[in-house]
Amino acid sequence: MAENLLTVEGLFAGYDGQPVLRDLTFDVPKGALIALIGPNGHGKTTLMRCIAGLLKPTTGKVEFSGKKVTGLPAEEMVSRGVVLIPQGDMLFPDMSVVDNLRMGAFLPAARAKFSENVEEIYGMLPRLKERSSQMARTLSGGERRMLAIGRGLLSGGEILLLDEPSLGLAPIVIDQIYEIIENLRKQGRTILLVEESPNRIIDLADHIHLLDTGSIVWDGTGQELQAQPQILETYLGG
Amino acid sequence: MNFFLQIIVSGLTLGAMYSLSAVGLSLVWGSFNMLNMAHGAIMTLGAYFVIIWFDSMGMTLWLAAPFALICAAIAGVILYFISAHWMLTKRAFDTNIMIATIGISIALQTGLLKAFGGEPYAQPLSLRSYSFMVNDVPVSYQRLVIWATALILMVGVGIFLSRTNFGRAVRATAQNRDAAQLMGVRVRRVYVAVLALASVLAAVSGIMLSSMKELMPLMGGEPLLKAFIVIILAGLGNVTGALYAAILVGLLEAAVQVLVGAQYGFPAILIFVILVLIWKPAGLFGRRTVARQ
Repeated sequence: MAENLLTVEGLFAGYDGQPVLRDLTFDVPKGALIALIGPNGHGKTTLMRCIAGLLKPTTGKVEFSGKKVTGLPAEEMVSRGVVLIPQGDMLFPDMSVVDNLRMGAFLPAARAKFSENVEEIYGMLPRLKERSSQMARTLSGGERRMLAIGRGLLSGGEILLLDEPSLGLAPIVIDQIYEIIENLRKQGRTILLVEESPNRIIDLADHIHLLDTGSIVWDGTGQELQAQPQILETYLGG
Repeated sequence: MNFFLQIIVSGLTLGAMYSLSAVGLSLVWGSFNMLNMAHGAIMTLGAYFVIIWFDSMGMTLWLAAPFALICAAIAGVILYFISAHWMLTKRAFDTNIMIATIGISIALQTGLLKAFGGEPYAQPLSLRSYSFMVNDVPVSYQRLVIWATALILMVGVGIFLSRTNFGRAVRATAQNRDAAQLMGVRVRRVYVAVLALASVLAAVSGIMLSSMKELMPLMGGEPLLKAFIVIILAGLGNVTGALYAAILVGLLEAAVQVLVGAQYGFPAILIFVILVLIWKPAGLFGRRTVARQ
């Protein structure tokens, strides 16, 4: 495989002294789509927040592009190219769609290319163009997710962290979102994705890690996972 | 008809002064839940800075005024670094910061009292003694200056918040701090800048207030209280709402003062606010989270 863009080694993290992540180790090679699956409350979002710099790990190491980035704040991580599209979108509700997108391109490097890049985003997500002057809080769930993705893409990161992109959406909307993710993958983007269920990612991901009570309990390809139904049975209740 | 004109003239002046201080207070609260109890003291400090630069340092008024505002901005930055900076990530920030700024406010007022004494000073930056008549109602040029200044500053703040990159970052931080950080916003810089801006607005408001009355070390107490009333009436954190609510409160106060009696102005405002909060607990322009799922 290609060189590793992101390496997580022996990561421990938690809240108020309560550990949530226990000794996590995995890599994300450049250009790959790596997925982490696991039930709710087992540390998927905590891991994403840790990598993106919103939460400081207790111990362990995060390396990005060959440099140690453990514990750097979020604003520093995004300037280095780590972009999190967070769970629940975290939009700016009282700002227009286009202002939300502008915030995505807040850093100087991204801002310089905003007018060019935003057209590309509008081409990919035409709904955002139609609604560009509307307040973000008036959007539907699917449109919000698209806005969160568009906003994240405008940051121009080297790796996209997607935290449960299917959460709370109708199946038909999930299809649209995964179509977008598939396109991003085709463009050669490096993606780290977490989901509760393996349904959508079994064919899509290069490698899948199964997370249970804060540790990786199994990893392999989608085909391997399908070949071992007892694993899904054990950890995800089938 | 003259009553009406008097109410408008006096109400708009009060509204202009309240709006500047309330918008500053609201910006700070909206950005990072800091209820700045030293806002009134900074108002007073700003007004005294004019005297310091004019009387003590012998500057011309045209220089003393901008210098006073720069000093107010610096005071805002210092306020951040001696209080909020150390408390932001700790528990119960919103309570702690309130208590800390009450302390700072007392220290500032006592300092001014020591330095200038308790007797009132006249604000040198005033055109109060020059006026013209409209329908037998005297309108001092000072009022015109106050209206124009408030208008320019409010439009300026509006443009800053809606059109500039940093202004958008301020709004974004207020709406979702984590998300703003994920966009690359250094939120602590936003906080410092917002406190500096709010302090400048407070200082302008303080200078205006002292130009209509006089300078006293404790003059910031009542306007702080009114600024609180205005932002609660508007809905906490709603900056545009604070502007409208300030003008409304100013007009209401003036109306009661002219029609009923000067001492009833403040009680009337309080009753009005209580009634509004019974009717709309989130304030006139406040909104409980409205979300379409």
